[in-house]
Amino acid sequence: MNRWSVFWVCATLVATGIAAPDQWWNPGDDRPLPAYVEYANAWGRLGVLNADGPVTTDGHPFFEALGPNGRACVSCHQPADAMSISLESIGGRWTATDGTDPIFAAVDGRNCPNLPARDPASHSLLLGRGLFRIALPWPPVDATGKTIESEFTIEVVRDPTGCNTGAVYGIDGEKREISVYRRPRPAANLRYVASSGFGVSPFIGKTGMLAAIDPDTSRPVNMNMMADAREATLKTQAMSAARGHLELTKGLSEQALNRIRDFELQLYAAQAFSSEGGVLDEPDGPSGLGPAALAEGRDGVLGNNTSNYVIPMENKWADLPKGANAAEVSRNAFRQSVQRGHDVFFFRTFWIRDAMHINTVGLGNPIKRTCSTCHGMHLTGMDTANGWMDVGSTNHPWALEPPESPWAKKLPELPLFKVTCRKDLPPHPFLGREIYTQDPGRALISGKCEDVGAIVIQQLRGLAARAPYFSNGSAATLRELVDFYDRRFNIRFTEQEKIDLVNFLSVL
Amino acid sequence: MQRSKLRFWFAAVVLAPVVVYGADPGQRISFVSCPIIRDTKSVPCWISQYNGDTYYLTIQSDVSAAVQPPMLGHQVLVEGVVSDAPSICGGIVLDPVRLSVMPERDDRCNTMLPADDRYTIDFNPRPPGPSSGRLAFAPAPRTRQAAPPPAPEGPQSMDLYFDFDKGVSFRHPGELSSILSLANRLPARKVKITGMRGAHLLTDKTLLRESESVGRRRAEEIGRLLQGAGLTVSPEIELADGKDEADGIDDWRTRRVTVVLTP
Repeated sequence: MNRWSVFWVCATLVATGIAAPDQWWNPGDDRPLPAYVEYANAWGRLGVLNADGPVTTDGHPFFEALGPNGRACVSCHQPADAMSISLESIGGRWTATDGTDPIFAAVDGRNCPNLPARDPASHSLLLGRGLFRIALPWPPVDATGKTIESEFTIEVVRDPTGCNTGAVYGIDGEKREISVYRRPRPAANLRYVASSGFGVSPFIGKTGMLAAIDPDTSRPVNMNMMADAREATLKTQAMSAARGHLELTKGLSEQALNRIRDFELQLYAAQAFSSEGGVLDEPDGPSGLGPAALAEGRDGVLGNNTSNYVIPMENKWADLPKGANAAEVSRNAFRQSVQRGHDVFFFRTFWIRDAMHINTVGLGNPIKRTCSTCHGMHLTGMDTANGWMDVGSTNHPWALEPPESPWAKKLPELPLFKVTCRKDLPPHPFLGREIYTQDPGRALISGKCEDVGAIVIQQLRGLAARAPYFSNGSAATLRELVDFYDRRFNIRFTEQEKIDLVNFLSVL
Repeated sequence: MQRSKLRFWFAAVVLAPVVVYGADPGQRISFVSCPIIRDTKSVPCWISQYNGDTYYLTIQSDVSAAVQPPMLGHQVLVEGVVSDAPSICGGIVLDPVRLSVMPERDDRCNTMLPADDRYTIDFNPRPPGPSSGRLAFAPAPRTRQAAPPPAPEGPQSMDLYFDFDKGVSFRHPGELSSILSLANRLPARKVKITGMRGAHLLTDKTLLRESESVGRRRAEEIGRLLQGAGLTVSPEIELADGKDEADGIDDWRTRRVTVVLTP
């Protein structure tokens, strides 16, 4: 489907009212997911495009409740939320179901499974920050289940959920697991996320360690999926999620796994309409906006260059007429702001310093670069391969922590761990041998000290539909996300730059 | 010297009016010191001071650079030859130069100098923002698909070099892939991995040695990685000490692992 035909199909669907479905998908709803559909959000409308045409969800393993807790994949990967799940949707389900929706299942929808049901306090991380519990084995194990010798010890400094020090779910408990709390990632545009077109080899480009292997092909993969790259492929991820989040003891059949993978690889989501900027993917507009751009685009392409760009805009909105009426004046002003925001993202240099896996890969520390240095993948803004980095979103001293004082009303919500790295090995180059973190990230999989707090960079598409942001939900809004980077890297954005950058992110 | 590198040395012009050489051209110099980063109107440059002199180390470019910049927060081990090239960023040019980031933190190494119109980088292989679409020092594209070379005969030896006291890093994926490929083509029936503990005779006559266990750690890590990637032979591990090789001339070569593949 080319850009023009997608545009006219979308326009027709919107005009005829077909694209006004119920926002929420329950498991087993059995209604078809159209070839193209738009969902409203605070910034406009998100477009969801099935490149292979309408999807029959009746009997589809992505959409059916398969396990005992009543969940399906779609429970936490909602089309209206760019195939993630927004805090707004979570709150809506709590109200609508009095806390009985399957997303609030004990296994990971509560702060800890042993907390009382239907008590908001038991679900405070999900209701307050959109976070699900991720339980990982400690010490870490490899893909074959063999224990990995860790380069560090870990202790619990603070445990507001009670899970990490508990007798059952604690690090020293019966299950010997660590509970961290993370946002679900979008299950759309995954052709890009799972691409093996760039920098994939048996050895990880940034570290030289072994790359994960696709069990179906025995070939290395790009390790760009999930917050910690713990699953190699869409199929292994689906199996892991079925066993964990869906509590499906036997897992999924090969046929079901293939259907889920095939569905995900043809699904695209991006903002399609901006309340202030109008239609984003009109044929004469910037070529990188809207879901059709993703459906037609090349995956595995480095975009941090003036040949490909991360989000191609061709300066289409750089120099617009003022407009013939108030609506046009407002629309064009917003579009010019988006263009300026793109230029901030792409060209505005600042010092990137002490960020693990970017300042340690031969570029120096600091480097004078731009947002697109790390968010460099063409059309998604992910890293192109092996994309875990530590920008400080979970590690002390940069991670969001409420101020401690005798007068503080807001208490810390997330656990805090102290990681102590072995003395006979080199320390973490920026954090030393004692690191405080809310989530050790990739290190819980690799056992490497240098991976503490390293999180796989997320795609930037559909942001308007899926707040809050960062793996730990620490940025409630796009503005908070921009402010985090401004603080972290001492960028000193002007107020106008911040506004423009937020507007740019809102149309992706 | 590569053409691009030659171009760099000739084109990187310093507008500093006064250049003072504290060391003679051709002199080898080796020291550990804090790196300093100096901003410019294009990419930043890296310098370091030793014995009252300022030495130019490299500029920021990208991962294809032969000399990769050091890190603030860490000292850097500098090994180079004093060049008679015009100074760059106010520093005496070392060519060739080898840099190794020292692993322990050193918070004294925190100097960032602002851009100064006296120091400009005229040759700019990669701007500080997005590139033009190619790596700064990318090799010329191949016009034809070269036929795979025939498998060599007899034992094959390959060296991998490391940063001071560090193990496998971003420097090694390509080399590890090459060793694995060669081991499969031979095919290797015996694999010997020798890990050497590096040593450096610095200009001030200090003998700087790596940690005692680093040779074993590197050799075992290389063995584990190769086996994990499909090497079916169990490697034989040997250890060596670079102390006797350390003479102040290219001592970075003592921070190495040698892999010998025997068909």
